Amino acid sequence: MSFLRTTILMTTALCFCLPAAAQDNHDHMDHATRDMHEHHDHDAQDADSSHTSHDDYNPASGPALTRTGDIESALAQGGEPIVADVLGVVCDFCALAMNKIFGKREEVAAIYVDLDTKALSLVLVPGASMSDQTIADLAVQAGYRIADVRRGSEALGNPS
Amino acid sequence: MTLSGARCPLLALATLAALSHAVQARPVSYAGGWTIIGESDRQSSSALAHYTPSPNMSLGLKTEVNRDSDFAIYSVHPTLLAKRWFGADYQGNLYFHGGIGVASGINNRPGSDQMALYGGVMADWETRSLFVGYRNRYLEAGDYASQFMQAFRVGFAPYEGDSGDLHTWLMLEIDHRPSDPDSVTATPLIRFFKGPLLVEAGYNLTVNQPLFNFTYRF
Repeated sequence: MSFLRTTILMTTALCFCLPAAAQDNHDHMDHATRDMHEHHDHDAQDADSSHTSHDDYNPASGPALTRTGDIESALAQGGEPIVADVLGVVCDFCALAMNKIFGKREEVAAIYVDLDTKALSLVLVPGASMSDQTIADLAVQAGYRIADVRRGSEALGNPS
Repeated sequence: MTLSGARCPLLALATLAALSHAVQARPVSYAGGWTIIGESDRQSSSALAHYTPSPNMSLGLKTEVNRDSDFAIYSVHPTLLAKRWFGADYQGNLYFHGGIGVASGINNRPGSDQMALYGGVMADWETRSLFVGYRNRYLEAGDYASQFMQAFRVGFAPYEGDSGDLHTWLMLEIDHRPSDPDSVTATPLIRFFKGPLLVEAGYNLTVNQPLFNFTYRF
């Protein structure tokens, strides 16, 4: 019993340290990804949250792309804009989960989860594509569900 | 906020929690996510580190110190997300949680190490400004304890913060522990939530004991 207790204690302590090291590695990987795709700061949502704009909201087709600095930069690079309505995103942990799951994808140049509009804004790397099914599957990995996906001009608030 | 920079304070918080339970916020993370949870209430303090291999379950290691009865539990702690209800403006969750491990006496309490088993249900429903949660647990720890507890919590957010903002919640937790002399107690608390960190601080008005919880997700 004492062996088991000691093992659990030591492993618990490791769990407090190893994820930190893993996160450091993950951050390096993120940086590498950013180097591959300029302006692809997937984890910089907090810093940009005060610079968002919801001016393009179109009640007929749902919320449009949320314009953060990263989103604008990625759009300027020519990436495809995508807006997905997400069910169940009510807190920052929800936004964090979406950011982590989608931010790992090389197709994604910029991401923002807008709790006000319950919408996931994505801009893809120029030339990249991401199917509706992939978006739905990634949302499930994050713990959520996609209700609708809009692309191109419709995602920008200009319904066709 | 980088984790390496936050490692020391996190370890300090975890240690604090280990030295001194509640309705956990999101006990299952996204696939591949790690979570560290520290909880301290009128009876016990605990530290839990868990990994989420799939969005429907997490598996962690937990250390819990029962200050009233002078024993500690070291356990493997799985949590299953049985059901999540989604809406455009709400989310509801039903979880089953449990653990198996070893119970040992502390503070010179005599007794041999014994197997500890516990399990229970957690449920919550929340919007961006309203929260309702319930949790229960039955613990069987040989000669050390046979305990049942349940806690009900309601809360509201005075404002709705967006991603990355500081979110603030005012909550009230009512807990019921039939084996305690003060079986029903009330704890008003405040929850601060920003990015990956959630911190709760409260005070049990019935037995004059502080409550402190935190969750860090990455």
